[in-house]
Amino acid sequence: MRRGDQPRSGGARPATLLTPSLLWIAVFFAGPLLVMAVFSLARRGAYGTIDWTLGLQNYAQALDPLYLTVYGRSLWIALVTTILCFAAGYPAAYAIAMKVPARWKSTLLVLAVVPFWTSFLVRTYAWRFMLQDDGLVNAVFAWCGLPAQKLLYTDTAVMIGQVYAELPFMILPLYAAIERLDRRLLEAASDLGASRISRFVHVTLPLTKSGIVAGVVLVFVPSLGAFITPDMLGGAKSMMIGSLIQEQFVQRNQPFGAALGNLLAVAVLILLAVAWRAGARDEARA
Amino acid sequence: MSATSRPAPQAPRPFGAWLGIAAVYAYLYVPILVLVVFSFNASRQMAVWSGFSLDWYAKAWQDEAVIQSLRTSLFVAFISTALSVLVGTPAAIALGRHRFRGRGFVDGIFYLPVVIPEIVLGFASVVFFGLAGWKLGFWSVVVTHVAFSISYVVFTVRARLAMLDPRLEEAAADLGAPPLEAFARVTLPLLVPGLVSAALLVFTISLDDYVVTSFVAGSGGTTLPLQIYSMVRTGVTPEINAISTILLLATFVLVLLSQRYESGAAGRGTSAVAAAVVIALGVFSIGGPVRDAGKRELSVYIWSQYLPEELVAEFEARYDVRVNVELYDSNEAMLAKLQTGVTSYDIVVPSDYMIEVLRANDLLGEIDTRRLTNLDNLNPRFLGLPFDPENRYSIPYGWGTSGIGYRKDLCPKPIRSWADLWDPALRDRLGMLNDARENFAAALKREGKSLNSTDEADIARAAELVEELKPLVRTFESDTFAENLLAGEVWVTQGYSGQIARVALENPDIEYVIPKEGCTMFVDSMCIPKSAPNADLAHLFIDFVLEGRSAARITEVMGFATPNRASLEFLPPEYRDNPAIFPPDRALDDCEFMTDLGSAMEIYDRFWTRIKS
Repeated sequence: MRRGDQPRSGGARPATLLTPSLLWIAVFFAGPLLVMAVFSLARRGAYGTIDWTLGLQNYAQALDPLYLTVYGRSLWIALVTTILCFAAGYPAAYAIAMKVPARWKSTLLVLAVVPFWTSFLVRTYAWRFMLQDDGLVNAVFAWCGLPAQKLLYTDTAVMIGQVYAELPFMILPLYAAIERLDRRLLEAASDLGASRISRFVHVTLPLTKSGIVAGVVLVFVPSLGAFITPDMLGGAKSMMIGSLIQEQFVQRNQPFGAALGNLLAVAVLILLAVAWRAGARDEARA
Repeated sequence: MSATSRPAPQAPRPFGAWLGIAAVYAYLYVPILVLVVFSFNASRQMAVWSGFSLDWYAKAWQDEAVIQSLRTSLFVAFISTALSVLVGTPAAIALGRHRFRGRGFVDGIFYLPVVIPEIVLGFASVVFFGLAGWKLGFWSVVVTHVAFSISYVVFTVRARLAMLDPRLEEAAADLGAPPLEAFARVTLPLLVPGLVSAALLVFTISLDDYVVTSFVAGSGGTTLPLQIYSMVRTGVTPEINAISTILLLATFVLVLLSQRYESGAAGRGTSAVAAAVVIALGVFSIGGPVRDAGKRELSVYIWSQYLPEELVAEFEARYDVRVNVELYDSNEAMLAKLQTGVTSYDIVVPSDYMIEVLRANDLLGEIDTRRLTNLDNLNPRFLGLPFDPENRYSIPYGWGTSGIGYRKDLCPKPIRSWADLWDPALRDRLGMLNDARENFAAALKREGKSLNSTDEADIARAAELVEELKPLVRTFESDTFAENLLAGEVWVTQGYSGQIARVALENPDIEYVIPKEGCTMFVDSMCIPKSAPNADLAHLFIDFVLEGRSAARITEVMGFATPNRASLEFLPPEYRDNPAIFPPDRALDDCEFMTDLGSAMEIYDRFWTRIKS
């Protein structure tokens, strides 16, 4: 699907077309990140002012074993969220793309996004009311004759809320990839005697890899920095990277917060580069 | 890619597929359903259904703060959507229709805003605005929203562009159309569905953003999510559910319409309805600013639930001004904003120790007490406190304690002291404030130490005690601890007197106790930041609050005590004679103000992080 490179779109040159957006991003996006890079080298002064003696002490502090459990927990939450989203999102995306009559598809996709038109705070609070001791979930349990469960302020609640917040970001790119799938390849696999499972593993999954990579990135990255859902549904019993950073801003150790933020951003970028290469290989093969 | 390469779908085996889809969508929609249903609930309690009512819709409509924040949100969303579509679309065309050196690199740049965690961007932006000297307010929110929205526009429009057949444009060119005309008459109309979905996507993101906005917002930039966040400090009221339901409905209509555009089924009628909805929202969003254009403005930066709506309205009417009320939920958050040096607040209401910090940072302006005609209304006991001995910088607003609230009907035995919290019978039924200092205060007081101790051994011992307490803790919560008590989710909670006093009025089984070892006592005071653009109006406001009737209304709303003697005659007896609000003097004997601990705070922070990891 390569196109020629004749100048189009009104004859404007790419540089002209790109300047406004790149300029905006340079000033209001890259600018802040750059400032933060410098900031992370400063020190906390008395009363939370900034002492501009530059050094790497904040990064050294960030590697203190004290914080490693915090990073570990954030990673763990992000990982489990991603896995659960994939487990629930792939079948759903597959069903929408392959099993559902065409006229339903776009409606179902829109319906996946509509919950996001309410504030996520309100949605999270709705979950609190559903998960609390006398909430809806326990009412359903009671109706089924099951014992009441303590749900709110547990890890289960955190996962329910996290997956809830991220699931559509998994479904949409997966749908796009599955929808693009050339069904003749699937038929060919079946004709050649592949079982449904082996067909799925050897044909469907590899061919939808770009969607999987996109979905995993879109879910994993925000989960890594998440802290509001874990605090609201998990009772703030364990710190996350996100809450640690926010706490530095609030507790007046902004240089350390900046260092933590930079580390998080770099970690995400490395992850992305890996995902990118996986995706690029995939595209080169296709 | 062309649609013809795909054969007809396989014979669907719909049952299993539909079942799976139904499960996922049930999960997505049950919470939404819950909030819609409870927006019609007559009771404030979300767990109990007590009859159908439209009261919350009426109430939301009359709540000036909510309406104003909704306007701000929509206005921000409209402008940032327009800007990002305007700026992002050319970039999408460049990337989608041109090949040039460094295209991969440029492509990568557009991915950055999508993948950089929000907390990092928010933090970085506020520091950046501070250094650049750019005032935090409405526009700081808009430009930041655009900065992370452009990428979404680029991706969405580019995806649509990839679906278009470039030969159409070529055909137009072959038929003699100049490039600009070929673009305007062929490509652009075909791009519209992409532009519409990009706009919708960006609009949603802007409307819902909380984390970044909370960092960069300043006076005039309080969006609905920020307002909601401060309202949920006392639990989600059905009022917020009502607002959410209306927004849901409006946006649902917009999405359906955009769907029709994309499927090409849109006729005149669709366009007319879409235009009508957009115009209605647009007119609504600029209604406020237009009405108040040209008026003098007073910006008040204050704790949530501290300033009753009708007092704001009264002040606005009396002096023909406009009052912006912005809310914060911790002294530190307020300090962090002021420290950026680019805020324009006229009044802030810090607590005792924070006044010292603000003064040390040279952030407060002097108050001219000669201009305060109602100063004599204050109880002299609250004047000349150690953090501001001559009241040159602060005038007391309200005071309270952070003690313990508990359920008499659920707790195995009455709670009288901090030591009572270390009771295994309370496992999983104990709430603590989500604040290092307050947790350590409970432990230090239990040991008979000062809650301002900077002695490392004291702090280490307190940390051990908090660590011991942690397995009993159900939740660390500084916002909705009182709601948790009301719902019975916790039986005992550390908390601020005001919020607990308020829920105790709803449920007589709730009691607020000042532990016998003593606890934190705080006085929140009105101050005028040095950078205040309208210090003159700020003095009028302080004097207005000092009127007995105003102070009484404030006490009723916040549940904290007032230092205002003249207000007592206006207070209903359940407030005036309430020991949770106005405790007897001897209960305060062992209470202390917090003081800024300087570098010792790092010791607390380390222990706190360890306890929480």
